[in-house]
Amino acid sequence: MTERGDWPQHLDSIVEEFSGCFDSMERYELLFQYAKSHPSSLPQEDWTEENQVHGCQSRAHIECSVSEKGQFILRGGADAQIVQGLMAITSIAVNGMHPKEVRQMTPDFADAMGIRSSLTPSRANGFLNMFNSVREEAGKLEVK
Amino acid sequence: MCVIEAMSRYYTEYNSNAHRANHTLADEATTALEGARGSISRFFGTSPKQMIYTSGATEAINLVAYGWARANLSDGDVVVLTEMEHHADIVPWQELSKEKGIEVRYVPIDLQYFTLDMDAFEVAVQGASLVCVVHTSNVLGIRNPIEEIVELSHSAGARVLVDCAQGAPHEMINFDLSNIDFAAISAHKMGGPTGIGCLLVRLDAMVQMRPFLTGGSMIKKVSTEGSTFQEGHAMFETGTPRIAEAIGWGAAVDWLDQFEMTEIHSHVNSLAALAAELMGNIPGITVFGDPQRNDSSGAVSFLHDSIQSQDLALLLDEGGFAVRTGHHCAQPLMDAMGVPSTNRASFWVYNTSEEVSSFAKHLSEVVSRFS
Repeated sequence: MTERGDWPQHLDSIVEEFSGCFDSMERYELLFQYAKSHPSSLPQEDWTEENQVHGCQSRAHIECSVSEKGQFILRGGADAQIVQGLMAITSIAVNGMHPKEVRQMTPDFADAMGIRSSLTPSRANGFLNMFNSVREEAGKLEVK
Repeated sequence: MCVIEAMSRYYTEYNSNAHRANHTLADEATTALEGARGSISRFFGTSPKQMIYTSGATEAINLVAYGWARANLSDGDVVVLTEMEHHADIVPWQELSKEKGIEVRYVPIDLQYFTLDMDAFEVAVQGASLVCVVHTSNVLGIRNPIEEIVELSHSAGARVLVDCAQGAPHEMINFDLSNIDFAAISAHKMGGPTGIGCLLVRLDAMVQMRPFLTGGSMIKKVSTEGSTFQEGHAMFETGTPRIAEAIGWGAAVDWLDQFEMTEIHSHVNSLAALAAELMGNIPGITVFGDPQRNDSSGAVSFLHDSIQSQDLALLLDEGGFAVRTGHHCAQPLMDAMGVPSTNRASFWVYNTSEEVSSFAKHLSEVVSRFS
C-alpha cells in the first residue's frame, strides 16, 4: 500500500495501479493505455501557440475552464503518448474540483505513482511544466 | 581517457593563462596550446597559420559570416545554402541578409535519394559570392559531393565554406588539398571535449577578414585614440583561450592518428548498414536515406509509424540506448522530408556490431510491446 499523500481520493486507485508496476517499462505501458483510453480532449485544430505548454520536448496543449457549477475542466492533448497519458491522469485528478483546490494541489500523486522517478529529468520537468500551467490557469479562473 | 588525462594534467600541473606573462607556467600553457594547434592543423593537412580556434563549428561559421562576409559582401551579393544545412549554417546568413541585403539561395534535396539536387546547385551558384554546404548531413549521414561543389563554386567565382562538423570524425579532410576556402570543425564529434573547434581559413581569405570579437589578446596596441590588431589567426582569438579544451582536442587527434581514417569510415559505415538492415525488418520502422551507401557516415535517422519519436527515444533509453530525437537543428531539412522530427542512432569507432544487434533487438521489443 502506497503511503497516502496530498491528492484527491478519487486518484487512489490509479496511484495504486501505477505504484504496483514491476518496472518503468510496465509503467510506460500503463501510460500508453491511459493515452489510448483518454485521447486528446482538445481537438488538434485548437492547438495554438497561446495554449501550448512550453518546456515539454513534445507538443502539449491545455485549455482550462469552469463549468456553470463552478467545477474545473481541463482539456488537453499531446502528440506523444507518454505525455498524453500524463495529461489524462492530470485531467482525472483535477476535473470536477474547485479551481482553488486545483491551484493548491501538489504533484505528490506523480511521485507516489513512480512517474517522476521513471522520467528523465527533462521529461519530469515537462510534466511539472504542464502541471504548473494547469495550476496557474486554475488561479486565474479562481479570481474570475 | 587520454583526452581527460591531458586536460587534467593542464589543470593540476601547469594551469596558467597562455600568450601572456613570462613565468614558467604561462610558458608551458602557451607551448601546450600551440602544440595542440600544430597537432590539429597537421591532422587536417594544413598549417597552424590557417587555423583559428573557436568554440565549435557554430562560432566558426559565424566568424565567416561576421568576419569575412560582412566585410566583403554587400547589397545584392548572393550566398548559396542547401536545405541540408544545420541551423548553424542558416541563421547567421539570414541575420546577415537583414543587415547587408545579401540574397540567400537554397539548393533543394532530391527526395528520392535524400541527396543534393546538383542540377539545381549548378543554377544557384551562378553569380554567387559564397557557397555554404554541409560536408556530411548530421541528420542523414549522407556525404555531399564536396569536390564537385568546390570546383563548380570556384569556376563561378564563389568562395566555399564547408561545415565539416559531421564529416571530420569519419573521413580524412585534407584542407590544403581540398581547395576549400573555409572549413568549420567541432572537436566534440571527434573524441575531443565540448566547447572547442576551429575555422580553417586560406590565408588569402584570412587577410580579407575583420575581427567580430574584439578585446584582449587580439590587439597589438591600445590607446585612447584607437587600437591596432595582431595579424593572422591571433586577430580572431579574443580573450583567454580555451586552453584545457584545446589541449584535450590535441590529445584526441593524436589518439586518432593511430587509425587510418578510411578504416574508421569503413567500420562506421558497416555498423550503419547493419543497423539499417536490421531496423528495416522491424514493422513500422522507416529509415531515411540509405546508410548502406559507401558515402554514408554512421548516422541512421528513423521513425516508427505509430510510436511518436520522443516516446520511442525514452523507451530506447530504458534499454540503455541513447538516440538523438527532434529536428536535429535542421528544420528546413525536416520540412523537405515532410516530418517534424526523427530519431537518430549514431555510430563511431568505439561501437561494435554486437551493440548494433542489441540495439535492433531492443527496438524490436519496444515496437512489439508499444505499437
